[in-house]
Amino acid sequence: MKILVTVKEVAEAADDFELPDGALDIDERYLEYDLNEWDEYGVEEGVQIAEENEDTEVVSVTIGPERSEETIRMALAKGVDRAIRIWDDALEDVAFLDVEARARILAAVVAEEDPDLVLTGVQANDDGFGATGIALADRIDFEWAAVVNHLDLDVEGGLAHVHRELEGGVEELTDVELPAVLSIQTGINEPRYASLRGIRQAQSKEIVPYELADLDLDADVTDSPLSLTSMYEPETESSATVFEGSPEEEADQLGELLGEMGVVEG
Amino acid sequence: MLDYLGLESDLATEERMIRDTAREFVDQQVKPDIADHFVEGTFPTDLVGEMGELGFYAPNLSGHDLPDVGERAYGLLMQELEAGDSGVRSMASVQGALVMYPIHAYGSDEQKDRWLPTLASGEEVGCFGLTEPEHGSDPSSMETRAERDGDEYVLQGSKTWITNSPIADVALVWARDTSAEDSPVRGFLVETDRDGVSTDKIDEKLSMRASITGSIGLSNVRVPEDNVLPGVTGMKGPLSCLTQARYGIAWGAVGAARDCFEVAREYASDREQFGSPIARFQLQQEKLAEMATQITLGQLLAYRLAELKERDELTPQQVSMAKRNNVEMAREVSRTAREMLGGNGITTDYSPMRHLANIETVYTYEGTHDIHGLILGHDLTGIPAFE
Repeated sequence: MKILVTVKEVAEAADDFELPDGALDIDERYLEYDLNEWDEYGVEEGVQIAEENEDTEVVSVTIGPERSEETIRMALAKGVDRAIRIWDDALEDVAFLDVEARARILAAVVAEEDPDLVLTGVQANDDGFGATGIALADRIDFEWAAVVNHLDLDVEGGLAHVHRELEGGVEELTDVELPAVLSIQTGINEPRYASLRGIRQAQSKEIVPYELADLDLDADVTDSPLSLTSMYEPETESSATVFEGSPEEEADQLGELLGEMGVVEG
Repeated sequence: MLDYLGLESDLATEERMIRDTAREFVDQQVKPDIADHFVEGTFPTDLVGEMGELGFYAPNLSGHDLPDVGERAYGLLMQELEAGDSGVRSMASVQGALVMYPIHAYGSDEQKDRWLPTLASGEEVGCFGLTEPEHGSDPSSMETRAERDGDEYVLQGSKTWITNSPIADVALVWARDTSAEDSPVRGFLVETDRDGVSTDKIDEKLSMRASITGSIGLSNVRVPEDNVLPGVTGMKGPLSCLTQARYGIAWGAVGAARDCFEVAREYASDREQFGSPIARFQLQQEKLAEMATQITLGQLLAYRLAELKERDELTPQQVSMAKRNNVEMAREVSRTAREMLGGNGITTDYSPMRHLANIETVYTYEGTHDIHGLILGHDLTGIPAFE
């Protein structure tokens, strides 16, 4: 079996950063790069499946500049077998890649690798579209399930028994036929730390660089109806009421407040 | 963390990944409850196996499925662990440098096969018995004796200030072999469940409280001669182990100091008095400047030591210089950081005073500050002050 795990290096801004008027991105000096949190769970899920099932290969794919290799190598250190990194001058030139572009690029990788299972994070904590996995499933015509927080794989039956997290604490239990794309929710597992032995081994694992042409894609893959028009820090307003006194007094104050707000009748 | 001269940007990918993994581990597994352990006087024993799984014990050794990382990567690991707590770094130092290293360097193939895998994984814990109640800085005067009896040795004596002895499965005990000519010091692997072995815990510590310390009592303890480390005779055995461990301490002390510095810097930026953050005041700025400078100098020493060790050119005296300097540096930095935190600094809510208390142990163990001064004095003048 082959599992493809999509991963993304995301930027995290420092607590104090400056965003000049008209700027469309936070300056590089305020940014630190790390593996997208959701993808950590995707990697762990893929590696755990490979540990439980013989002859399973886990391949990671990312779209990102050379800098992202170190982040990807951490996934290799945690047990991913090899990685593919797609970058191109055409990608360098665009402000951001929309969901459609990502799905088209990843679809080309799926065509090349022919995986049985594709795991993506539910969303990325930079742009947060939360749609790449499902858009990819649609494009490659795979079955799919989004926001998976429990996965029980029946390799022989070619079936994934999944729990999906829905709004309001509701869970959906469903079966998905392979090949499939599953978008993985945080908490599905406990991502491991890379061991020192894993880190050493990762240095000699392969990260194959692809350009768009290697995937039979043109620069027009980046064309997008979306454009980034502005970036700003939202005004935040918070008003907190701190109750003081004994538990009884605090409960009275809370009851009074809820009454005033019309939450309870009283 | 403070890296004023950008030394870490020159690290190789592998080294950076090891640093990041260790830092993440300490942030998530050590820092959240280490203060509680310090207060209770307990060691977070869950960490023993977790650190083993990650390959934190003797990762710089080769063969026997050990990670075989470079000396700088090993140093970075010690630095990150001690940024958490000196007790956690001590656990790794004792297991790796004081128990696995001598077995690796001087042990028989059978001893290596028996002990290295389980010590590396943390399934078993080792301790190192050199110091005795009456012999601290002068270990060659040790009284612990081993006398041959057929194909066994009978051990007699007591050791103290032994990190991890109460939880150890095996003690590497250094004793004089009175059946051999000139009674040379030899290393004995003593399983702690043998008859006549006692490992009492020392409870009254005011320093390194999140670390288990005890004694080793040996009363007519019989071990087979196969338990003697065959590859070394004399004080070179224990002293060579200490050089390995002190190398880790020189790095670790920088980690403790960096943690203190960051806590103090953040506190000074947030804490407002007289209408502005105290970081605005010149007295506080001078403290930060001095701490940052001393930490950076200690860091430079550690990095240079790594280069020399990698080339196999490192002398014990050079390690003494770095251990002596960096631990004193950490002592000063933790004290200054505590001071900048005012009254809040004396609580376990902040790390500096815990580090400060720990450093008193680090200042004293593995060769006291003064003894390292005398080792340097001997090297510089050719005249030994302690013989």
